[in-house]
Amino acid sequence: MLKRHALVMLLAVLPFAAHASDSYTIDPPHTFAHFTVNHLGFSTMHGRFDKTSGKATLDMAAKTGSVEISIESGSISTGFAKRDDHLKSPDFFNAAEFPAITFKSKKFNFKGDAPASIEGELTLLGVTKPVTLTVTEFKCGTNPMSKKYECGAGATAQIKRSDFGMKAFLPAVGDDIKLEFELEANKD
Amino acid sequence: MQELLHHPAVQGGLVPFGVALLAAVLLQPLRLSGLAVILGFAATVYLDNGFSLDFSSLKTFQKIVWLGSVAALAAIPLALFNAAWIRPLLTAAGGASALWVAERILQQHQLAQMFLWGAGIALYAGWLVFWMDKLGEQPVRAGSAGLALGLGTGLAVLFGGYASLGLYGVALGAAAGAYVLIQMITNSRLPCGYTFTLPLALLAGLAGSYAVLSVKLPWYALLPLAAIPLAAKIIPVSEKVALWLQSTLLSAATLACAAGAVFLTWRVAGAPPF
Repeated sequence: MLKRHALVMLLAVLPFAAHASDSYTIDPPHTFAHFTVNHLGFSTMHGRFDKTSGKATLDMAAKTGSVEISIESGSISTGFAKRDDHLKSPDFFNAAEFPAITFKSKKFNFKGDAPASIEGELTLLGVTKPVTLTVTEFKCGTNPMSKKYECGAGATAQIKRSDFGMKAFLPAVGDDIKLEFELEANKD
Repeated sequence: MQELLHHPAVQGGLVPFGVALLAAVLLQPLRLSGLAVILGFAATVYLDNGFSLDFSSLKTFQKIVWLGSVAALAAIPLALFNAAWIRPLLTAAGGASALWVAERILQQHQLAQMFLWGAGIALYAGWLVFWMDKLGEQPVRAGSAGLALGLGTGLAVLFGGYASLGLYGVALGAAAGAYVLIQMITNSRLPCGYTFTLPLALLAGLAGSYAVLSVKLPWYALLPLAAIPLAAKIIPVSEKVALWLQSTLLSAATLACAAGAVFLTWRVAGAPPF
């Protein structure tokens, strides 16, 4: 009798729970982490990481969300293979020792119906620091090509690489790094 | 002045050379001239990175510097002993140090690869410690081997694409160069022993093995580097000729081995990216 009650309760709550917080899986071909850094004061160099993965949850009604993104540090690409090799070395991203860069957040700050900023923790070279992403664009809807429901967002942040122990070639190669994330995530 | 001190040629060449030159002369009455190498190396570390050490998140790079410093400190009391067990113990400790330094990278490999790489780097570091220790009573041969081992490791690591560690290797070579130069000029042998051979061999061994695992330094480039202390030991140069001539001949031979390592790395990695 008790078991039946429990089952009825569970079945009654389940649909609401599922709607309460939808879970999403990052779509790697449409998700990139970009960065820019000053080079010797002459110009601003751009680079990106080609391989990302992760999960997110979003509850539009409660205006809450969470995200966990893992970026493969060895997938760095700046359009010049020799520089990429150097960036993978322990002088910079140390891809052999720290193959993943992660960003984790459980705090989405909403402004109206869309998240305006995401407060989380960035782990780079084994060092974890708080980082706040400013959300620059956000949209949820059905993808006209895949017919899947998905959300997409753009976000930026500013960090100092020396805070994470990446000190090689300072100050010639800039300390201030601008991060730009473009991501799409499919509803599970 | 700050700009000058940040120049790689000053940090990796001039400063360690000058500090080692001064230290070798000043420490000669205490029979601790061998410490000149680690002091020259430490000057480069200080200029490049400072001495901050966070044990809660010890990075591989910091582990190497820390182990080199510990080896230099341990070498001072070790000189008081003359026991047969010291050399095998130091060899084993050198191998174990290489495993500890590369621990995080090794853990990311499959089991078979992990054992293969682990055995390889432990063997390399242990080998250098063993053979450099055999040169401990021959300051001219040890100095020439140190010069070539430092420069060879540093330049090979630089060509492999790891600037910071390459700079430290070159600094070792520059400091050992100062040690060689004093003997050439004064025609008298400096005190050597563990204080010279142990930190130098360990730092070169750890730098080489870590670079093989993390950048484009091919494993076989370590073979000519491993041959350096062996070459310095077995090349027949008469002890009776002037020290400048002994040093020149031995340095030429050992530097040829170092050049071999740099060439092999260049064939794989090309010119440095910086």
